Amino acid sequence: MNVLKATVVTSVLGVIGFGEDGKIAAYKLFSQNTLEIAAKLVDIDAGKNVSEIPEVVKELKEKGFTKFVFENPALSRTVQAQLNVEVEVVSPSEVGENFRRKMGEYAVQTGFVKDASELSRWIHDVSMEVSQLKVRKATEKRDLMIVQAVQALDDMDKTLNLISTRIREWYGLHFPELDRLVEKHEVYANLVKNLGRKKDFTQENIEKLGISQNKAAQIAKAAASSMGGELKDQDIIQIQSLCSCVLGLFEEKSSTEKYIEDLMEEVAPNTSFLSGATLGARLIAIAGGLMNLAKMPASTIQVLGAEKALFRSLTTGARPPKHGIIFQHALVHGSNRRLRGKVARIFSGKLAIAVRTDAFSGTYIGDKLKADLEKRVDELQRKYPEPKPKTHEKRPPKVMGKMKPSRRRRKHGR
Amino acid sequence: MDAEVQPHRSFEGVFQVFLEEKSPRLATLNLSPGRNVYGERLVRISDAEYRLWDPFRSKLAGAILKGLKHLPIKLGSRVLYLGAASGTTASHVSDIVGNNGYVYCVEFAPRSIRDLINNVCKYRGNMAPILADARIPSQYSSIVQSVNAIYCDVAQPEQAKLLVSNARLFLEKEGWAMLAIKSRSIDVTMEPSEVYRQEINVLKENGFVISEVVRLEPYDKDHVLVVAKYMSRSQYIS
Repeated sequence: MNVLKATVVTSVLGVIGFGEDGKIAAYKLFSQNTLEIAAKLVDIDAGKNVSEIPEVVKELKEKGFTKFVFENPALSRTVQAQLNVEVEVVSPSEVGENFRRKMGEYAVQTGFVKDASELSRWIHDVSMEVSQLKVRKATEKRDLMIVQAVQALDDMDKTLNLISTRIREWYGLHFPELDRLVEKHEVYANLVKNLGRKKDFTQENIEKLGISQNKAAQIAKAAASSMGGELKDQDIIQIQSLCSCVLGLFEEKSSTEKYIEDLMEEVAPNTSFLSGATLGARLIAIAGGLMNLAKMPASTIQVLGAEKALFRSLTTGARPPKHGIIFQHALVHGSNRRLRGKVARIFSGKLAIAVRTDAFSGTYIGDKLKADLEKRVDELQRKYPEPKPKTHEKRPPKVMGKMKPSRRRRKHGR
Repeated sequence: MDAEVQPHRSFEGVFQVFLEEKSPRLATLNLSPGRNVYGERLVRISDAEYRLWDPFRSKLAGAILKGLKHLPIKLGSRVLYLGAASGTTASHVSDIVGNNGYVYCVEFAPRSIRDLINNVCKYRGNMAPILADARIPSQYSSIVQSVNAIYCDVAQPEQAKLLVSNARLFLEKEGWAMLAIKSRSIDVTMEPSEVYRQEINVLKENGFVISEVVRLEPYDKDHVLVVAKYMSRSQYIS
C-alpha cells in the first residue's frame, strides 16, 4: 500500500497540514488573540499537544494520509503517543522551508490576515508575549531567590565592614583605646550606641551589655585613663545614630541568613544537609541557579570560586587549584593539607550527586550521602597516615633544573 | 551644535556623524526616536535622529570600522540574530533594516531578554524577542520566517555548529551569515588563530563559502567577525 505523507507545520497562524504536493491539505487557525497564541506556542515548543493538532491530524487522516511529518522531535513523540499515528521527523523539511519563505502569502491564503504586512505585527506581538511568559516562568524559580539573597548577604558584609571601620575611626577620636579592646564590630557598635561617652563606660554598665567581667574591667580601666578628646552632644548623637544603623544591618544580615537556610531546606534539602546551607547557597549563586549547578561535573564544582587560579593553570601551566569555595567546609579545611585535594574531590563528587537529586528527583538521600562521605574520608585517612617526619639525610639530592616547583608556586590556587 | 551627517560610503542604513570637528563616528537612523538603548548619544540633525554606534560595545560596528567589505544586513533584510543579549547591537541592526525588514532576536538568558523586551522590542515593531536556546532551533521554528542573514554572537564553544543548524532551518539559499568568534570562550588554552581556523572549517564543511574575516582589535581582543555565504550543501559539493 502506498503511504501518503502529510507534513504538519506549526506557526503563529495556527497548525497547517501540507500534502505531498506541497499544497495545504488541512489547517486550523488559532483564534486571533495574542495571549492565546502565545500560550499555545509555548506548549508546542515544549513538545506538548494543543487542541489544533489532533483536529488537523484527524482531517488529514480522513483525506487518506497515514504518516505525519514534524520538524519538532519532541512534538512528534507526543503526537505519536497521544494520537497513535505514524510520525516522522524531518528537520528541516522542504515543506517547512517553503512555508517559512512564504509565511506572508500563506497567512493571506488561509485568511489569517488580509495583508502580508500585517503578519509582521502578529509575529512581533506574539513573540513578545511568548518571551514574557517564559521570562515569568524562569524568574519564578525559587533558586533565583537564593542567588540574590547570597549576593545581598555579601553586599551587607561589605557595607558592615566599611561603616564599622568608620565608626571605630570616628569614635576613636574620643576613646581610641576601645578599638583594640573590642574586636567584634557588632559589640563595638552596641557599646557606643548604649553607653555613649566614655565616662559612662563603667564596669557595671559594660557588664549589663553582656560582656565578661574580666573584659569589662579592662575596658572600664581604659576608659578612665583614656587620652581621647571630648565630644559635644551633637557629635555623640551623630555617631550613635550611625551605630544604630549598623546594628540594624546586623539584624538584617542574620535574618537573611535564616531566610537562606529555610530556602535551601525547601529548594535543595540534600545539598543543604551535605554541605550546610550557606555553602550550598553560595555554590548555587556562583553557578547561577540550581539547574546550572546540577549540570556541572563534580570536577567543576570542586573548583567553583577558584576561577582565577583555574584559568591561570590552564593558560600558564601552573598547578591547578585543589578546591574553590568548598574549602569553607570543615571537612576540607579541617583536613590535613596533604589530603585536602583528595577530600575536596570526594566531597565535590558527593555534592554533585546531592545537587542533581535536588534538581531532578527531589527524593531525600542526604543522610546516606553524608554517611558515605564520612566513610570515604575516614578510609582516606587510614590509607594515607601521617608520614614519618623526614630526616634531612634521606632527602634525594636536588638536581638543578629538575627542582620541584617552589613552595610559593605550589600554594597557588588554594 | 554643528553636527553633520553623511551616509556611509558602502553600507546603506549606516551613517557617519561629524561632531564638533572630531573624527567621524558611526551612527544609525533611530527607529524609535527619543529613546536610546545602552546609553549611546542621540544626535538630531535636520529632522532626523541618529544613534551613535559604539565600536567598543558592538562588534558589528567594530568590524565596519575595521574595513568590512560586505554588510549582508541591508534595508528591508530579514535577520536572525543569535545571542541578542540586551539588544546593544541588535537595536542597530533593527535601525538598519528599517520597518520593512525584520529582526528575530534569540537570547537564552532570562535576565538579558527582560531588558531586551522592556527597553528595545517594546518600541520597535520590527523586532521579535525569542527566549530560547539557540542550539535547538526547532524550538522557535513556529515563529521565525526564513531569513536573508544570520548574525551570530553567542560566545560559547559550539557557536559555529549552532550557526549551521540555524542556517539549515532558516537561512535562504545564498543567504549570508556573520559569526563573531571570541577565541577565549571556545578554548582558553588554544592559540586564537587556531580557534578561528577550527570554527571557520566547521562553516566550510557545512556549505558556507567564507567571504571575509575581520579582526576586531583594538575594539575587542582576540575576536574576529567572519562573513560567509550559504551555498547549500549540494551546490557546495558539485
